[in-house]
Amino acid sequence: MLRLRVRSAASAVFVAVALVLTLNGQSPTAPSFRIENIGLPAVEETAAIWSEARPGGRVDAIKRAARDTSTANSRTGASGRAYTPGRVIVRFRDDVPVAERRAVARLGSNTAEVSERPSYADFDIVRIDATEDAEAVAAALAARPQVVYAQPAYHVHASMVPNDPNYTTLQWNLPLVDLERAWDIQPDGASTVVVAVLDTGVAYRNATINVNIPAFRNAGVNYPALGPSVVPYAGAPQLIGANGANASRIVAPFDILSNGTNPPLDLEGHGTHVSGTIGQLTNDNIGEAGIAFNVKLMPVKVLGSFWDVKFGFAPFEGGSDDDVARGLHYAADNGAKVINMSLGSSGPSNCASAPSTPGCSPTIEAAIRYAIGKGAFVVVAGGNEFEDVDPDFGANPTSVLAEIASRIPGAVSVAAVDPQKNRAFYSSTGAYIELAAPGGTSRGFGRGGFIFQQTFDFNFTDTFDPTVVPPSQYRAPRFDVLANIGIVGTSMAAPHVSGIAALLMQQGITDPAAIEDALEKSAQDIGTPGRDPSFGFGLVDARNALRGLGLTR
Amino acid sequence: MKTTIAALMVFCALAAPAAAQDEPSISIRPFVFGSVQSFAAVDTFDAVFGRSYDPFFGGGLQAVFGGTFYVELSASRFRQTGQRAFISGGQKFRLGIPLTATIVPFEVSGGYRFRFSPRVRPYVGVGVGSYQYKETSTFSDPAEDVDVRHAGVLVNGGAEFRVHRWVGIGAEVEYSHVPGILGTGGVSLQAGEKDLGGVAGRLKLIVGR
Repeated sequence: MLRLRVRSAASAVFVAVALVLTLNGQSPTAPSFRIENIGLPAVEETAAIWSEARPGGRVDAIKRAARDTSTANSRTGASGRAYTPGRVIVRFRDDVPVAERRAVARLGSNTAEVSERPSYADFDIVRIDATEDAEAVAAALAARPQVVYAQPAYHVHASMVPNDPNYTTLQWNLPLVDLERAWDIQPDGASTVVVAVLDTGVAYRNATINVNIPAFRNAGVNYPALGPSVVPYAGAPQLIGANGANASRIVAPFDILSNGTNPPLDLEGHGTHVSGTIGQLTNDNIGEAGIAFNVKLMPVKVLGSFWDVKFGFAPFEGGSDDDVARGLHYAADNGAKVINMSLGSSGPSNCASAPSTPGCSPTIEAAIRYAIGKGAFVVVAGGNEFEDVDPDFGANPTSVLAEIASRIPGAVSVAAVDPQKNRAFYSSTGAYIELAAPGGTSRGFGRGGFIFQQTFDFNFTDTFDPTVVPPSQYRAPRFDVLANIGIVGTSMAAPHVSGIAALLMQQGITDPAAIEDALEKSAQDIGTPGRDPSFGFGLVDARNALRGLGLTR
Repeated sequence: MKTTIAALMVFCALAAPAAAQDEPSISIRPFVFGSVQSFAAVDTFDAVFGRSYDPFFGGGLQAVFGGTFYVELSASRFRQTGQRAFISGGQKFRLGIPLTATIVPFEVSGGYRFRFSPRVRPYVGVGVGSYQYKETSTFSDPAEDVDVRHAGVLVNGGAEFRVHRWVGIGAEVEYSHVPGILGTGGVSLQAGEKDLGGVAGRLKLIVGR
């Protein structure tokens, strides 16, 4: 069953500053745990229709619009197939001399000219007036004895339209960045590129967590201690394949918070969702598609979540600058070529000129520079605080990490757009925004506004949340039920850029600064012409970026 | 290559005494040629083709008046397949997407032929040209292909060696300047290069007196 996870924008991006929870009613018994390396496979939920869904809704409309642009120079013939007007493909018999070919072509149309034979072709192109019916001309030519076959230049669809069922119904975000035509150019899915996901961890393997769950207080509710509990945990099949068949794509997973003692298991779902946008398995008739669907993923856990704290895996929810900086070093030292950071923190806006100002993060700035120096391209979420008023930093506060990224060639900050390419209501604005990507919205589009990927079904994990599970039904969480979850935020926008960057690396641009340059120069300039505070250089365009440049265009 | 050219020069010099002495008042002479052009847009061509020089092949017709003044019409063609590319920070990245560029210059030039020796006639000339540029690449929509034409200017100079009463061989250098095609987009805009012309070394086979 399809589940929607409607989260506030602020909760979608994790705050990297220390946020120590007050644990009223916490059991005096310290949590203890043991993670076993065995576990049952995931329970995969399949999609159903959300009650607010509208037939023929916005998702389909956007997909149609995206495809229409690719068939601008086309005409639909009587056969119903679209073709390029003004030309007919003709295969003459080999023994027909050139002069006779011209004469035969004229028998099909008075305007026919046999043009230069294209390279790698055993046929000729006969040019005709663009207003003529190419199917009729082809039929006339095909009837001549000198002709083996003749046909219009029928259009073919992009070869790479994923068969994942939710791609066509839910993933408006991928056609919005022209990904289908990008996959035609780079069908490999970036199999040689490693993308590190600095996040809450990733559901990358099965496990069994034996843990002592203490009592706690949350949202005004006292939750009792559950004592020793067995928490099932499963890797996301859409990342590691059914029964872990694609588990080899996970490289060097590491939990910064425990300094490698624990595996970097995602106990929240955020990192798994982000990883899905970057590289969810694609064209497998299941769930959604991912952008760089063959990429190698490096889970690097730098953020703790609610259950991490309760299980004793992390001291607090979120992470801290040193965790993030260490994660950057770890990822760069272990071969990551793209590093996704769907995280951030509000802070002062003058860190560029006064880096010692309280609230600035020179440690992370140095770590980003280190990672780029090792050849990694760094992507940072632009922040979800547009509607927030921070007591210290005011309205629409600066996202410190994104601001750092904006000053370093080879790192980018990413804002979020909705399905109509408008700035998402939560997406922070400022001179530090460099690119925009689909982050989705929970306002005005219903289901069609969200970014869907496979991650944990929150009905089984967020048992601590009274809005999800009635306190009377409180139970230990399960991390083995995965569903197609919609989330919004610049956390979701950033992995679009990371995935495209991975494809671009595979395509041949390997220098981080050059990747940033290519992504910015190839972006669709939306909003105010030129760079602007809402979208930066514009909406990232996968096909434009991968296609590169000719001599003149 | 140098040895071949030197041998050709010696052959020309030692060839049968030319018919220079009895040049007609008007001589119409067809010719074919091959040339190697070093493009002015060095970074642009290097990014896409991996080098900034390439051959042109063509032919034309030359009218010589009184053995000294000449007018020449020629057409030639360059066609090369490289890769779409990207330039950033002085680095060139080739993206593996085939790109085929075709340049078809139509040139009209005229000049003066010096009477250096019976066998060797140096000459200099100036002219104008119309340069067609086509660019197609894999994964392009038809509207993304390029087919433009722009005017340019040229100067050239060289020498014609008579190897037979009816056959001459010309060796010349031509400089062309073709603005208006490069520099408006693509790699050439990134490289800041606006001239499709360059310097060409050309060998001509001329038939006629």
